[in-house]
Amino acid sequence: MKFNRIILWSLLLSLEAFISVSYAQQAPAAPASIEAVQVIGLVGVKQNTKGNLKVENGSLSFAHSKSNCEISAASIQDVVTGADSQRAIGGTVGEISRLAPFGGGTALSLLRNKVDIITIQYRDSNGGLHGAIFTMPVGQAELIKQALLAQGAHTSIPTQAKSTSDSPLQSEAMELTN
Amino acid sequence: MKSIKRATILCIVIARLTAVPLLCEPPHPPASSPAAAIEVEMIQAGEISLPAEFQVALYENLVQELQKNGGFSQVYRDGDRNAADASGLVILHTTVTGFKQGSELKRDVTTVGGATSITLHCKFTDKEGKVLLERDITGKVKLIGDNLRATDDFAKKAATVAQETLSSDSTSSDSKKSGHKNVI
Repeated sequence: MKFNRIILWSLLLSLEAFISVSYAQQAPAAPASIEAVQVIGLVGVKQNTKGNLKVENGSLSFAHSKSNCEISAASIQDVVTGADSQRAIGGTVGEISRLAPFGGGTALSLLRNKVDIITIQYRDSNGGLHGAIFTMPVGQAELIKQALLAQGAHTSIPTQAKSTSDSPLQSEAMELTN
Repeated sequence: MKSIKRATILCIVIARLTAVPLLCEPPHPPASSPAAAIEVEMIQAGEISLPAEFQVALYENLVQELQKNGGFSQVYRDGDRNAADASGLVILHTTVTGFKQGSELKRDVTTVGGATSITLHCKFTDKEGKVLLERDITGKVKLIGDNLRATDDFAKKAATVAQETLSSDSTSSDSKKSGHKNVI
């Protein structure tokens, strides 16, 4: 009886160790498709167009109601993420809501959503430089950036994960210099 | 008496005839021939800490405004290989010299504070690097719109300056205006 328990415990422990190792080896999974707004930059796409952004087969694609726009990850020279906030009620309705009486317009403008921003710079086939800006729900921009970097894009600012992993080394270096 | 009158009239006529061409002559001839194409270089942040989205929005808005209202037959992007063969090419170099990131929320609530402004030094040169025009242009958003709208404001002003002074359309627009705009 005791022998069986020992075997069971050892099996459970080895299984746990295997699971933790396999999770640690996995790269951060790129989301299948993210709802995003193309603020400006894509050729043939109007400003502030809503669509779906995804990274697959070595390219960044933005699909919206009228067409699908693709940018090769290898042509992307710089990917930078940022954060901002925007009015919860935007567009024409948002502008009209400013006129609401008794300070209602001001109150409505206090309702704001936090958003992530991803900014890319890429070259077309003639070597011409383009830039594009997308906004998306919080927490998604870094995943898109990592997926793009994994598929050949470049960045001037390293990813958060990399910078945090670098920080202990930097602190050690600082200690050494001091 | 008659001879004095005739002489006076003759003098006046001669004086008028000599003065007319002088008055019609433009005060300053254009320094260069109007440009047909422009290449927009990427915005340089210089020593200013400028968020990437502002840099890209400035560049993209500038390209779009020059295409729409710049009066150039061709607008090339930074690094476009086709620009090398373009004749009468003007190159636009822009450097950020001032940036104040306001707050849309503050603008909404106070209506007087929270303005965003961005100032760029714009330098138009020819292919050889000779400076054709230098101007500081400021884009602002004071009340309605998000912070990036300041980049759109800048682009519209820059395109107007380029259209009035450098583009091939500037000669026709000058006839409607003062006639001094082409002097660089």
